[in-house]
Amino acid sequence: MKMMRSAFSLAAGAALAIGLSSAPLQAQTVEEIQERGTANIGMLVDFPPFGIMNEQNQPDGFDADVAKLLAEDMGVEVNLVPVTGPNRIPYLVSNQVDLLVASLGITEERAKSVDFSEPYVGIQISVYGEKDVEVAEPEDLEGITIGVARASTQDTGITELAPEGAHIQRFDDDASAVQALLSGQVDVIGCSNTVIAQLEQMAPGRFDVKFDISEQVQGIAVRPGSSELLDYINDFLQRVKDDGRLDEIHQKWLDSPLPEFVRNSAD
Amino acid sequence: MGYTFRFEPVFERFDQLLEGAWLTIQLSGSAMLVGLLVSILFALLKTSGPRPLAWLVNAYVELIRNTPFLVQIFFIFFGLPALGMRLTPNSAALLALIINFGAYGTEIIRAGIESIAKGQIEAGFALGLKRLQIFRYIILKPAMRAIYPALTSQFIYLMLTSSVVSAISADDLTAIGNNIQSATFAAFEVYLVITLIYLFLSIGFSSLFKLVERVAFNYPLSR
Repeated sequence: MKMMRSAFSLAAGAALAIGLSSAPLQAQTVEEIQERGTANIGMLVDFPPFGIMNEQNQPDGFDADVAKLLAEDMGVEVNLVPVTGPNRIPYLVSNQVDLLVASLGITEERAKSVDFSEPYVGIQISVYGEKDVEVAEPEDLEGITIGVARASTQDTGITELAPEGAHIQRFDDDASAVQALLSGQVDVIGCSNTVIAQLEQMAPGRFDVKFDISEQVQGIAVRPGSSELLDYINDFLQRVKDDGRLDEIHQKWLDSPLPEFVRNSAD
Repeated sequence: MGYTFRFEPVFERFDQLLEGAWLTIQLSGSAMLVGLLVSILFALLKTSGPRPLAWLVNAYVELIRNTPFLVQIFFIFFGLPALGMRLTPNSAALLALIINFGAYGTEIIRAGIESIAKGQIEAGFALGLKRLQIFRYIILKPAMRAIYPALTSQFIYLMLTSSVVSAISADDLTAIGNNIQSATFAAFEVYLVITLIYLFLSIGFSSLFKLVERVAFNYPLSR
């Protein structure tokens, strides 16, 4: 019985895999979405403040607001589909969503499977700490204690930049590194602008950004070849960047206007 | 099995692992010694100290034995700076290990002390021994002999518990293992190697304890 069941699930799995891989990559058009009247937009719900589940158990966050704005611009209803980090691209290429506003970092590797819009948001990694700690560039980190989450982008970045005499303390996660900063166990931490936004709310004016380490921009993703939809999205992004609506959403969720490097990379 | 083992990246960093293992030995070794002294003192207070002190020791034992070690170490590392005590990760780890072991050790040694027959102590008084002599030779030593196996297994457990200190960024064996794992993605290989190192350390400590037992309790049992 058990064997039959596993044989069945194996067959089902195989059928599903074939189904997925043989589904033609359908280019998506704006017209088609408008005819249907609903845009199916994939987003993360486990990546605050970009994608979360709110008190009503509905997808919410920065990405949700951008997705809603885009659907509104197209004149259609929005259907937010929760996806996860590993399955977001499969969801898109198997036609289960029309596009992704899922904090998808623009990388060369991913650009082989999906087409990216211009950046709509970015994550910046910086060194951040007590105002009276005087650090303006990596060399100043000598003798300074820096907290990072082990093996994170900031860990790799700081390990590379920091001089010999810097003390890098590696914690298990961002929360512990932040706790170490708050309790004075470390002088500065390496962290993303999302963490900084949270810290600014918890302890306004106590810390400031020392210098930036790296930045990663995120784009809206569509199926390859959907150039008409992509043009529409890029035009939309340009308009909401220009009229400040994207700034407003960024201010709402990240407590700061859209970072310059996102705005400037539009060419 | 479709998994290809890649041990080279782990062995390339073996010197780092040895450094981590050395810190683990130092941390657990010092915590054992200091923790043992704390345990003896507290066990004495609990069995024959003044009421308020015995009560305090009891509260300490109950508090530590009924809360997770991870929480205790977070409390010491992140909480003490609020009281103006900023410890380095390694000293916070050592302090946490001593405090944690002290609670378990106190109970073990108390059990040993209470196992000593009253007549044995009275025999000491009858022979005209001083109080300290009675405590040292008639109570503590036989008590230690009785609970030695329990004490040493608690020592080993202390050494293994020290793997948690990587949470406050102390660079013990587990922390180094995590660093290597996240740099090379050879997670299974790294954990296999550090498991073997922990096993080796445990066996090493056990042999040392056996040796101590042979030297310290080198007299026949009376029964």
